Amino acid sequence: MVEEVEPPPELIQEWEREDREFREIRRSKADWEFIKAQPPHIRAALIYFIERGDIYRAAKIAGMTVGEFDEHRYRARIPNIT
Amino acid sequence: MRGVADACFLIDWSRYRRKEILEKLFDLLLIHEETLLQLRSPPAIEYVSSLLASGLLRLYPWSPDDERQYSKLRDEVSLDPRIPSLERPDLLCLVIAHRTGSVLLSENLGVLRVTQFHPIYSRVKVWTSLEVLENSIYNGLISVSSVEEFLEILREYEEDARHIFNKRRVDAATRRLKEWLKR
Repeated sequence: MVEEVEPPPELIQEWEREDREFREIRRSKADWEFIKAQPPHIRAALIYFIERGDIYRAAKIAGMTVGEFDEHRYRARIPNIT
Repeated sequence: MRGVADACFLIDWSRYRRKEILEKLFDLLLIHEETLLQLRSPPAIEYVSSLLASGLLRLYPWSPDDERQYSKLRDEVSLDPRIPSLERPDLLCLVIAHRTGSVLLSENLGVLRVTQFHPIYSRVKVWTSLEVLENSIYNGLISVSSVEEFLEILREYEEDARHIFNKRRVDAATRRLKEWLKR
């Protein structure tokens, strides 16, 4: 059994702050009219991406590869943030 | 210089107006077959096909040893809810970069976070497009004579790829560039 490797608490706090900041940026930059006009599964995936910034899970929600989902992200004007 | 490219990096980079600089910065780029399967957008497919045709990009020959290393890493980090999901293709790239001593080209926040604390994988050098652009300047592939010009280069990338660089990371890169400009 392999043990999980734990990140230090100060790093976790920094990530939490970063997550909040990035979420706000994605929410403010997104083209909400475009998102609302999408079919339900794509709309749900785009909203999930805005909230979590997690492109793999968003692509799975949409039933697409990362590359396919990213085309929708791009058209919805949602930034990738690193 | 040798690199390993993940899907998120290639998808974003393929939209960049100066994307050809990557071919001048690296002698060899490695990609896993499963990463290749994630690429479906026309700009990314066209770009990656051209890199494969030129011989710069090559498929990494995955081995049973690599698979064991991947399984160990997956068990260590993939269930941590504080790290954005790390799917198999991302972790494969991290394993390849570690095993080959390559720079990992990634825009995956989960990968960046693992390399901030993991005792083994913190040794892997991860570059996002920000560091690729910064190092392209140090290598004479992009010419800038001031911080403002560097920030303009970043703005171009952000516009082309609909990408935003974390301000703290931009500040750190700007400090390094200022020192370099003094030389």
